[in-house]
Amino acid sequence: MTGFSQGLLDALLRDSHLIAPQLFLMVVATLMLWPGDLFFNRNEKHKWASITLVILAITAALIGRTTDGEGFSRMFRMDGLTRGFQMLCVLGAAATVALSVKLLNSIKQQTVEYYALILFSLAGMLFLCGASDLISVYFSLELMAISIYILVAYLRDRATSVEAGVKYFLLGAFSSGILVYGISLLYGAAGGTTTNLADLNQALALTPTTSNLLVFSGVLMVLMGMAFKVAAVPFHMWAPDAYEGAPTPITMFMSTAPKAAGLAAFLRVFGAGFHGVTSDWILPLCYIAGASMILGNVTAVRQESMKRLLAYSSIAHVGYMLLGVLSGDARAGAQAVWLYMLIYIVMNTGAFAVVIYLQGKGEGERIEDFKGLGRKHPVLAFAMMIFMLSLAGIPPLAGFFGKFYLFKLAIEQGFVTLTTIALLTSAVGAYYYLGVVAQMYFREPDGEPSAPMGATSVFIVTLACALVLVATAFGPWLVDWASKITWV
Amino acid sequence: MFTANTTLMLVATFLPLLGALVLLLVPKGQRRVFEIGSLLVMIVSFLMSAVFWFGYDRASDAVQWARAWEWIPSMGVKFSVGMDGISLLLWLLTTFIGPIAIACSFKSIEERHKEYYIWMLVLQTAMLGVFITQDMFLFYLFWEVMLVPMYFLIAIWGGPQKLYAAIKLFLYTLAGGVLMLVAILAIYFLQHKTTGGYNFSLESFQAMAPVIAQQSKTYQILLALAFFIGFAIKVPMFPFHTWLPDAHVQAPTAGSVILAAILLKMGTYGFVRFLLPILPGATKDLMPWFIGLSLIGIIYGALVAMIQKDMKKLVAYSSVSHLGLCMLGLFALNPYGIKGGMFQMINHGISTSGLFLAVGIVYERRHTRMIADFGGLSKSMPIYATVFMLMTMSSLGLPLLNGFIGEGIILMGSFQAFPWAAVVATLGIILGAAYLLWMYQRVMFGPITAVNEKMEDLNLREILYFAPLVIAAFWIGMYPKPIMDVMDAPVRKLVEQITPGYHAAQSLAAQQAIAAKLGMRGMEAPAQQEVTSEGHEAAPATGHEVPVHEAPAHGGGH
Repeated sequence: MTGFSQGLLDALLRDSHLIAPQLFLMVVATLMLWPGDLFFNRNEKHKWASITLVILAITAALIGRTTDGEGFSRMFRMDGLTRGFQMLCVLGAAATVALSVKLLNSIKQQTVEYYALILFSLAGMLFLCGASDLISVYFSLELMAISIYILVAYLRDRATSVEAGVKYFLLGAFSSGILVYGISLLYGAAGGTTTNLADLNQALALTPTTSNLLVFSGVLMVLMGMAFKVAAVPFHMWAPDAYEGAPTPITMFMSTAPKAAGLAAFLRVFGAGFHGVTSDWILPLCYIAGASMILGNVTAVRQESMKRLLAYSSIAHVGYMLLGVLSGDARAGAQAVWLYMLIYIVMNTGAFAVVIYLQGKGEGERIEDFKGLGRKHPVLAFAMMIFMLSLAGIPPLAGFFGKFYLFKLAIEQGFVTLTTIALLTSAVGAYYYLGVVAQMYFREPDGEPSAPMGATSVFIVTLACALVLVATAFGPWLVDWASKITWV
Repeated sequence: MFTANTTLMLVATFLPLLGALVLLLVPKGQRRVFEIGSLLVMIVSFLMSAVFWFGYDRASDAVQWARAWEWIPSMGVKFSVGMDGISLLLWLLTTFIGPIAIACSFKSIEERHKEYYIWMLVLQTAMLGVFITQDMFLFYLFWEVMLVPMYFLIAIWGGPQKLYAAIKLFLYTLAGGVLMLVAILAIYFLQHKTTGGYNFSLESFQAMAPVIAQQSKTYQILLALAFFIGFAIKVPMFPFHTWLPDAHVQAPTAGSVILAAILLKMGTYGFVRFLLPILPGATKDLMPWFIGLSLIGIIYGALVAMIQKDMKKLVAYSSVSHLGLCMLGLFALNPYGIKGGMFQMINHGISTSGLFLAVGIVYERRHTRMIADFGGLSKSMPIYATVFMLMTMSSLGLPLLNGFIGEGIILMGSFQAFPWAAVVATLGIILGAAYLLWMYQRVMFGPITAVNEKMEDLNLREILYFAPLVIAAFWIGMYPKPIMDVMDAPVRKLVEQITPGYHAAQSLAAQQAIAAKLGMRGMEAPAQQEVTSEGHEAAPATGHEVPVHEAPAHGGGH
């Protein structure tokens, strides 16, 4: 017995370097809650934002230093895919933290818990990026999601925020149930021996044809559970409400980091795990992807709220990215998704930064609030225009390059109809993105020019805008980075 | 410094963009700086481009001044530029129209000058870029970039329905563009499958034609349709033309000028450059449809133009009709047809710009474009009436002016290929004369009202920007040979790409015809009367290379 526990402990210690970033995050976040919370008084809590940014920088450095490997009974893998998507999650979290400070200050809601929860959920995402076992996929998803449920309902004196949190939580719990049920079916179908993705792949290939239905149901339920987490149609119903009710930086967070982690899991589970086991998931996923593009883009056209617009647009973007998951060449698919996600995070962050700035003035909730921004803040409006055009995929901006790279792959893999749908719906997307541009440039402003932006926001907007503008010119670098998203 | 080389070509292309960046730094209120500055940039860019007219080697059908820089090697994307005669003509047309479009905006643009001139300059670079690129990725990039400035030009400085018109233009073209992208990618991967490499260069795409010809019919037809819709929206061909009247009517004058003169040409250029050489087989299979749509465009555009009450809308619909004629020429797939189509693109660029400018003049003075509001303007505005007359005549194809040459060659070409289509097209030309002259009559003659009596004639600035158009119209109309020479070699190559062995068959046919006539003469020698009459007919034919009436047997049969 002692021998077993000793062996277990040795194994844990041996493998712990693989999850050094997560361990660091968990420890630091716990310390932040106590005793860290005692360090600053009420008016100094905004300092936690800067500390969190430093923590995130250290996390990024740790991610960069970890070596490839597999550990914890092969429940977690560190490889190019993990590292690449982990970096995206950290990027998303950092942008969120940087943009939160001013907004939370203005509504006097600075607390250490806010930042700690972001770190906890980030730890969940980092686990999820490398989860190579259905069980670890499940618990990382939960760690990530539970922290976000709380963050969505963070403004607890606002009914919309609480409503969004409850809605998200209820549907999230439901979908987790489906996911677990699917996992249990697969576990049973594979002979009740393993939930490891690689083993499962082999075990399921050997299952008799009589259990085809069992395997199919299991795969389909896992698919449903995960589609819920990335808000793909028809499991997207929670997204617009949660996006609208959550504090705007959290909306931004939800549309970037968890999506990156969720897609990493998608890629690993479907691209690698269920790859070649059964092609039955291809068709449902095609429908999910197609429906996400169509419904996301078409519904966004009718929105009046900026946050709902971005919510529906993010559903559409997930639809595009699922094309990469579908790819028969899983590695190329992962690279294209990663590249798209990176670009999406940058342009989305930029767009949200503008929304958050306007919100500080009590505006920005509605698309109408962008009226005349071109007159009031020419530079800001220019940046927002670039983000909108980039989201619409107009060359030569970054969004175009991401789309081009992804759709190129999808056509190569033979999904011509789906890609054509994607391209045509992205033309529909141009309609509502340009609607925002039209508000900014072709409507007269009513109010006076409002106060200038904070230094952080200016920095983020300028950086994002510059990156979006020049990305295509530096295409070779991007492709080069993306080529590191591999696994053995 | 001023020799025609790649560097100068790039400088001329990107100078407007550079100018836009410089103007960005100038404070908002300096209206004159923006006006004069952008005009100077456009003129310098034009002068630089003019060097290429003289430096172009007319004997060669190769892409000249070609250079390529590696951009994204793993995807086979190169920053690859160069021009052949076909691109050169349109590139020159763009630099030629640029200063005119700026000069005509000085008075009509009354607000937000800075943005306006910056967008105009950005648009210019994007348009010039389309014509010099030799890489499909780069081509798509410029093709779509162009939309953004145009969207702003219409949506900010346009008429009452400007937002609707601008978004319609944007979405139509974008939708066509993405279909084209799918086709480009499909060929790209087919090429990868065949050759193993990734390459976006235009040359390699054109070299794919034989491989594509071996694919299934459905595949070819779908590819051709994707390209066709992409370009047909831009041209615009019936039934994809509905964005055009909206965009033209709402756009500011300069926007309409650029739209008509250059943007529409991108569509026809796309056909010449991509659809015809890459997918000749599928094009020929779909030809009855293409010809049908072109003819519907010619007749329908003309009929709708006839009943318009708004002068600008009339000119817009006349574009639909004229572009239909261009397409008919291109689809004849023989040297006359393609040259005529290309030639007519240039002509349409000149004459329709002139007409839009002319409409803009009265709109600036009266803020109305309704034909019914005018009458007798020839009394109060004699110079204007003269210029308007010249532009009308050039548009309807009066001999000595440019339109005549283009229409004539197109009809020659299309008659060789589809005699009945040429007959229908002639009807369109007659209708064209009818609606243009009718408009001219109602606006310029008849009783004059008090308001119209006070209208000022053209001022010096206006005369100056009409002058190049008038000179060009006369020059092309009286001496079209230089332009023909520039197109000669590339069109020859293109026809050879579409129908391999075309020219060999032609010269064989010509020789046979001569031989047949000589033989006949020999046989008929005893009958004195017949020899004389035959001799009269045969003499000119032996002097020329290719007798026109011999062609259909070999030309259209493939």
